[in-house]
Amino acid sequence: MRKRWQGEGRISRTSIGVVACALMVLVLTAEPLRAQTVDYTKYHTYDELTSALQGLVRSHSNIATLVSIGETRGGRSIWAVEIANRAGVPVDERPALLMAANLEGDHLIGSELALATVEWLLTEYGSNDEVRRRIDEQAFFVVPRVNPDGAEAVFGPVATWQRGNLTPYDDDNDGRVDEDPPEDLNGDGLITFMRVRDPSGPYMTDPADARLLKRADASKGESGGWALYWEGRDNDGDGFYNEDGVGGVDLNRNFQHEYPYYAKDAGRHMVSEAESIALMEYVIRRRGVAAILTFGASDNLISSPGGRGELAAAAALSLFDQAEASTSGARAVGVMSTATAGFGRGGRGGRGGAPAGGGRGGGGQQPATMIDTTDLEYFRTIAAKYQELTGIRRAAVTRAPRGAFFEYGYYQFGVPSFSTPGWGIEMAAADTAQGGQAGGGGQRGGGAGGSPVATDNDKRLLDWFESENIDGFVDWTPFDHPQLGEVEIGGFKPYVTSNPPAAQIDELLAGHAQFALYLSSLFPRVRIASTTVTDHGGGVFRIEAEIENTGYLPTAAAQGVRAGAVQPVMVQLGVDPEAIITGDVKTNFISALAGSGTRRSFQWVIRGQPGARIELKLRSQKSGSESMMLTLR
Amino acid sequence: MTTNPVRPVLAALLLSVLVATSVSAQDRPGIQGSDPPHKVRLDFNRWHDTAELYEDLRTLERAYPKFLSMRSLGKSHGGRDLMLMTINNPDTGSEMSKAAMYIEANVHGNEIQGSEVTIYTVWYLMENYGRIEQITKLVDERVFYIVPTVNPDGRDYFLHGTGAGSRTGHVPVDDDNDGLFDEDGPDDLNSNNNIEQIRKYVPGEGNYRLNAADPRLMEPVPPGEFGDWILLGSEGIDNDGDGRVNEDGPGGYDGNRNWASDWQPEYIQGGAMDYPFQLPEAKAVNDFLMSHPNIAGVQSYHNSGGMILRGPGAEWQGDYPAADNRVYDQLGEHGQRLLPYYDYLVIWSGLYTVHGGFIDWTNDGLGMISFSNELWNGGQYFNSPALKEQQQDPDSPIRPDLSGLFFDDYLEFGDQFVDWTPFEHPQYGLVELGGWKKTRGRIPPRFMQEELAHRNMAFTLFQAGEMPMMALGETMAERVGGDVWRVWVDITNDRIAPTITARAAENHVVPPDLLHLEGAAEVISAGWVRNKHAPGATDMIDQADLERIIIRNGHPGRTTRTIEYIVRGSGALDLRYESVKGGTVQTRINLR
Repeated sequence: MRKRWQGEGRISRTSIGVVACALMVLVLTAEPLRAQTVDYTKYHTYDELTSALQGLVRSHSNIATLVSIGETRGGRSIWAVEIANRAGVPVDERPALLMAANLEGDHLIGSELALATVEWLLTEYGSNDEVRRRIDEQAFFVVPRVNPDGAEAVFGPVATWQRGNLTPYDDDNDGRVDEDPPEDLNGDGLITFMRVRDPSGPYMTDPADARLLKRADASKGESGGWALYWEGRDNDGDGFYNEDGVGGVDLNRNFQHEYPYYAKDAGRHMVSEAESIALMEYVIRRRGVAAILTFGASDNLISSPGGRGELAAAAALSLFDQAEASTSGARAVGVMSTATAGFGRGGRGGRGGAPAGGGRGGGGQQPATMIDTTDLEYFRTIAAKYQELTGIRRAAVTRAPRGAFFEYGYYQFGVPSFSTPGWGIEMAAADTAQGGQAGGGGQRGGGAGGSPVATDNDKRLLDWFESENIDGFVDWTPFDHPQLGEVEIGGFKPYVTSNPPAAQIDELLAGHAQFALYLSSLFPRVRIASTTVTDHGGGVFRIEAEIENTGYLPTAAAQGVRAGAVQPVMVQLGVDPEAIITGDVKTNFISALAGSGTRRSFQWVIRGQPGARIELKLRSQKSGSESMMLTLR
Repeated sequence: MTTNPVRPVLAALLLSVLVATSVSAQDRPGIQGSDPPHKVRLDFNRWHDTAELYEDLRTLERAYPKFLSMRSLGKSHGGRDLMLMTINNPDTGSEMSKAAMYIEANVHGNEIQGSEVTIYTVWYLMENYGRIEQITKLVDERVFYIVPTVNPDGRDYFLHGTGAGSRTGHVPVDDDNDGLFDEDGPDDLNSNNNIEQIRKYVPGEGNYRLNAADPRLMEPVPPGEFGDWILLGSEGIDNDGDGRVNEDGPGGYDGNRNWASDWQPEYIQGGAMDYPFQLPEAKAVNDFLMSHPNIAGVQSYHNSGGMILRGPGAEWQGDYPAADNRVYDQLGEHGQRLLPYYDYLVIWSGLYTVHGGFIDWTNDGLGMISFSNELWNGGQYFNSPALKEQQQDPDSPIRPDLSGLFFDDYLEFGDQFVDWTPFEHPQYGLVELGGWKKTRGRIPPRFMQEELAHRNMAFTLFQAGEMPMMALGETMAERVGGDVWRVWVDITNDRIAPTITARAAENHVVPPDLLHLEGAAEVISAGWVRNKHAPGATDMIDQADLERIIIRNGHPGRTTRTIEYIVRGSGALDLRYESVKGGTVQTRINLR
C-alpha cells in the first residue's frame, strides 16, 4: 500500500508510506548505514522504540546497557543507552558524549537519529577501529526520547501540534485547567487553523502566496481583514479559541539558562518536570561528559554561531505565531485597576523605592549569554564539520533556545554543547557537500543581520513541499463554525515543520552517526608526557614532569572555567608537603589546558630516600586520570 | 488529615493521662491578671536540638489535639524529618478555606534561634486560645503552617558539634576540586568542643596586634605598620595531606540559594547547586508550598543583624510593583515598632545580593507576601540610650571594641570566650588557639531569647492577621423595570494584604479571584460601581461569561468594591466570591 506523506493527515502508527515520486535532489554525503536491523522507514512509537533499544542492547550486551533514568507522568520510562566497554575505568567517570533527543515531544526525527547512532556504533564496534577505541576508552550516553509522553501524542488519533509533556497547566490562568483544547472540526484528523473574515482582524493575504497571511502594515497603507485562530471551539465561553489545551510543559524551555520565567509552556519553575529532573540528575552525576549533542527545535550546527558568539536568529513559522497570538489576550482578562475607592489607604502612597539600607548588594556579575570568544573557534569548526557530514544547509523551522537543555550544557555544565533539528529544507549540492564547505557556516537569511519578511520562512516551506511533493498544507476550505459562523479551515499540518517525511529519515542517519563519532574524537586527552628524576646527592632530588593535551578540545571550555563547572586539571606529587624544598607545591591545578599538543611543565626539588617510589598523579575531569610511580635515583 | 474513628478516643485518652500526670496546671491557684496557669510548660531560655524541638511539638500536639497536627514533609539529606506543625481550628473551616501563614526557621544550620521562636509561637497561640480575644480570633480565622527547622542536619551539626561550617546543609560537595568530598574540614585540636581561631606570634612580621586595653582582643595594625601576630584561620589541620588546611569542609552550599526565582548558577551565585530544588530539604518544602495555595504569608527566620527583610534579592530584578510595596511597607514599618533595633530593609540594598533566595521564590513564584527576619542585633547588648551614649566615650570599658568582652565578663561570667592557649600545630608550628564560642555573636545570650521570640512572633502574627480576608457587605436589589433588576453587592477585604499581589498577577502564579452568580436570572451586564454614594459611570466588565467573572489581580487590601449586575429574572440569586488566599464568601439576594 502506498500513501503519500501524511496522506491520512497525520503520522500513522503503521509505517509511513514512501514518497515514491519525490525528487531525490538530496545527495548523501556519507555512506549509508549498513547492517541495519531497525526499520527507519517510519517513526517509532514508544513501544516500538523501546523494543528496538532492547533488541540492540541485547545483541550487544558486552558494550551496551539500557537504563531507565526516570519515569514520566504517563508512566513511561525514559531510556538511556550507555555504550562503553565496561572493562577499565568506571563508565560514569569516563569522558563521554551525551546525546539527548526529543525534548520537544513532536521532534520525532531526533529519536530516529539517536537510535540510528546507537545502532551504528554498536554494529561498527567489531570492525571500525575508531569506533572501537571510543567505546573502549570513552562512553556514549544516549537518551533517544526524553519526552515519551509528548511523543506518543504525535501518534494519537488527532494530530495537535502538542510539544510538551502531560503536566496539566492552566495556560490562561483562569482557574480552569486544560479546559479549552483545539478540536478537529472538519474531521480530517488534524488540528490546523481557522481564518475568519473580520474587519478588525490584523492580517491580510500575503502577496507572496495567497495561502499565507501577513500582518498588515498601516504605514504602507495596508489593511487587515483576516483573523486567525487555532482550529476548534471556544469550549469555556471566554471569547478565546483553544487557549488552554492539554498539558504541558515544553521540556526544552524548562532548563536553567535564560529560562523564560512564567511563560505558559515553560513549567512552574526551572527543572520542574520529572523528565527534566531525570536528565539533570543523569548529567550532573556524569562529570566526565565532555560534549553534549541534542536534537531539537533550536540550532547551532546547521547555522554556525556568529563572530560575537551569538546564535543565528530563529526561523519561525508565522502561521503558528499568528494563531498563538490569538490566545495571548486570554491571560489578561479581568485585570482591574487597583486605584479603587476604599476606606483605607496604605502606607505612603507607593513610594516605590526600597527602604533605605547600607547594604552592598548593588550591581553584580551577569551570567554569560554568548559563546565565549575563546570557545567560538571550537563551535565554528564543529558546526562546519556537521554541515559537511550531513549536507544540511537550512532548517525548516527553528526557535530561540531560551531554557533549552543544550544551552544549560554549555553555559552551566561548561562543555561544548549543540542542538540541531537534524534535517533541513536545503541540502548541499553533491560537489560542495563532499568537502567544499569545510569553513562554511555563515549567516543566512533570517539571521541576526537582516530583517526578513516574517512569512519568508512559511513561503520557503510551501515551496519545499512543492518541490518534494509533500502534502504538508491543507488548503483553506469553508466551514460553518458554531460560534464564528463562516470560517476557512486550513494551513500547515501538524508536525510537518518538526519532522521530515518518514521516507527521508534514512538519508539523514549516516551523517549524524558519523558526526557523533567525530565529536567524541575531539575530547581532550591529557597524559603525563614525560618525567625525569635527578639525584642531586644528600637525599635531594629534582623531579620534572610534563603533561600534554593531545586532544582537540581544551580540558575545559572557557565557559566551563568561568562557570566553575569543569574541575581544573590536578597534578599532585605524592610526598609529604614538608618534603618539598622548592619548586611547585604538592597539589597543582590548571584551570584549562588547551588541546592540540599543548604542554605544561612542573618541577619539584624534594628531600627523599634514594630508591623511594613516589606517585605522580594526574586528574582531569574530562579526560580521565593517570598515575605514574617515580623512583628516586 | 483523614479522620480515623479511633483517633478522637485515643486523643481523649491521651489527654486524660496528660491531665492526670501533669500537676502544674492543676495545683496552682488561679492567679489573676495575665499570668495564667499553663497547660504545657516548655523552656525558652535554651537551645534545642532537632529531637528536642520535635519532642516539644509532640507535647503540644498531645495537649491540643483538636488544633494541632504534625507530619513530616520529607527527609533531609541526613535522614532527619522536616516536621510540619499545622494549626487549624476545624470548627471554623477546612485548611484550604482559610488564608494561611507559613513560618519556618534555620535554613542556615548555625542560625538556630528562629526554631525556638516557632515553638514559642505554637505554644503561645495554644496556651492563649480562648483566653486572649485577639489570639482566639487569629487562630479561628487563619491556618498556621510551622516548620521549626528546614535544615535539621545543619542544626544538629551546629549544636552537637563544634559549630564550624554549619551554615550549609550536608550534601557533600568537593570544594577544592580534588575528587574528594568534605575531606578536610576544621578540627577540634584541643578537644574543647569548640573551633577557635589560630593566631601565631611572628615578631615584627604580622598584620595583627593585641589590643592595648585587653590582650585577648586582636586588631589589625594600621596600614604601613607591622604587628607581631598573624591569624591563620579556624582551628584545624591538613587532614588529607595535600598541603592545605581546612580547604574542604562539610557541605559547601547554601540552602537559601536553591530556589527558583532569579536562580543563578554557581559562578554568579555561590552555593546555588546545579538546579533549583536539587536539595532534598528545598524540594520537600517547595512541594508543600506549591500544594498549599491558601498560604498568603511567609516568614523565614534567620540570624542576625536585626532586620525585617523583603525581596527582591538582587538589584537587577527591579523593585516590586508599587501596589505591593505599599503592602510590604505597612507591614514592615509596623514591625519596626514591635522590634527595637530591627530595620525594615530590602535584601539587596539592605544586606547583600541574593539570587535564588527562598523569599524571592515565595513572593515571585508563589504570590505569598514574604519576610525574613534576621534575629538579634548586637545593639541589644547595651540597649539603653544612656549606655549607647557611654559607648562613645573612649575611656569607657564598654566602648565598641571592648564591649563584647565586658558583656561576657560581667553578664555571662566569661562563659562565651575561650582564652588563648599555646598549641603545637603540625603545619604551623607553635600557635595559640582561642576566641569566641559558637553560641556568641549571632545568637542572643540565652537569657534574652524569650523576648526575642515574643517580639518576632508578634510581628509574624500581625502579618498573619493582615493577610487577605474577603467579606460580602451591604446588598441592594432594585427593580429597573419589568423583571429587570439592578443588584449591588459590596465586596470587602478589610486587611492590609490583597488577595493577589501585583507581582503574582504579573507572573500568573495565583489563580484569579472568581465572582459567581447563580440563580434563575439572565445577566444583562455587570460592572464595578465607581462610587456608590455619588452618581457616575459604572466600569463595565467586558468578559464573555458574566456568571463567572475573573478578577485576575484580585482584591486590594482595605478596600470595598461594589459590583453591579443588571439581571432579568426573579427569586433568589447566590453571589459567591472565591479567592484562593482570601477565602470563599457567599450571600443571597432576593429579587422581590
